[in-house]
Amino acid sequence: MTLRATIVFIAIALVFVGMHSPAVAHSGNGYGAGFIGGFTHPILGWDHVAAMVAVGLWGTFLGTPAIWILPVVFPLVMALGAVAGIVGIPVLAVETGIALSAVVLGMMIVFAVKPPLWLAAVIVGVFAIFHGYAHGTELPATASAFAYALGFVVSTGLLHLLGIAFGILVKWPAGRIAVRGAGGLISLVGIAFLTGLG
Amino acid sequence: MTALRQLAWFPVVIAASPACAHSPVPGLEGFYTGMLHPFSTPSQLLVMVGLGLLVGAFAVKSARWLLCGFLVGTFAGLLMGPLIPDIDPIMFALAFAACCLVALIPGRLMLIAIALAITGGYLIGEASIPDEGPTRDRLFTMSGSIVGANVGLLYLFSIVDFVRSRCVWPWVGVAFRVIAAWLGAISLMMLALGSVEPTTL
Repeated sequence: MTLRATIVFIAIALVFVGMHSPAVAHSGNGYGAGFIGGFTHPILGWDHVAAMVAVGLWGTFLGTPAIWILPVVFPLVMALGAVAGIVGIPVLAVETGIALSAVVLGMMIVFAVKPPLWLAAVIVGVFAIFHGYAHGTELPATASAFAYALGFVVSTGLLHLLGIAFGILVKWPAGRIAVRGAGGLISLVGIAFLTGLG
Repeated sequence: MTALRQLAWFPVVIAASPACAHSPVPGLEGFYTGMLHPFSTPSQLLVMVGLGLLVGAFAVKSARWLLCGFLVGTFAGLLMGPLIPDIDPIMFALAFAACCLVALIPGRLMLIAIALAITGGYLIGEASIPDEGPTRDRLFTMSGSIVGANVGLLYLFSIVDFVRSRCVWPWVGVAFRVIAAWLGAISLMMLALGSVEPTTL
């Protein structure tokens, strides 16, 4: 392509770019909006993110079978919490419970606490109720319920996976320090939300 | 002369009617509609995938009983239904139960798994009963539903079994359990949402 042709091509391309109108592919309702709403809901709340990642991290720290039992227990119990929120069963101090989940789970990682598996599952399960409750009560009325539920469960699972992926570093001494440090950071985030600073 | 001969084809070419490569066999459209029906709504989709994971968690020798149970269930549902006025909540509950079984104790409790497969088949069958219309068309659609549901479950089972047998890493089994937990969570939420108010499913 000659220089002149290139200039003409760029000029035409710029004209087209300048003339574009905004793409309105998504109307804001339906499956797409529902999925995105559900997917972003856990991600946009730092207290949720901290706790979800902490579940994965702690699971890796505890080793097999906790590495998969905790991420299996969490969504199932979280759904029970969501049911409570949807049906209207009152759950006290939801925000406190969510913030506390980050503090407690973070502390567990910092101090490398290894309780019996059933106790770890109970701790995670109790906190999952608060998270699920928050998701259940904040379901947007216009969204597709199925897509919203799908989005938020997938998003939660991916956050666990993120924690597990980072937690694999515990195999190395330096990684162990990094993971415990991450636990400390998660605890601090929880404390910030607990004290109203977050 | 050659040119004239070639020109003689021209009217034939332009007079050709639109090609109908797939001549619609009477009733075939209904058959295809019926085939896709078991995967057409969230409740049915969750039941099918939940049962697929449930059957896939068992060895092939045991899984055949579940598949047979499902087949019997679909026939029963299509022939005996409709008996249940609001079928969606029951389907979500069944999907939740099947997913919980896979997530928590996969490949065990055979009798409960068979009961779930039969009930699931029944619900899918009942949900696939077509609206009123000519008997012949309804039969085509119902035949499609039986084929779609059972072949669909067979495919789901085969996919799970194939992945489990080919991929020997320990996390593969865990991944199926996690997926089942996620689907169970979705089913439970849908059950709750459906019981509270009519929503945009």
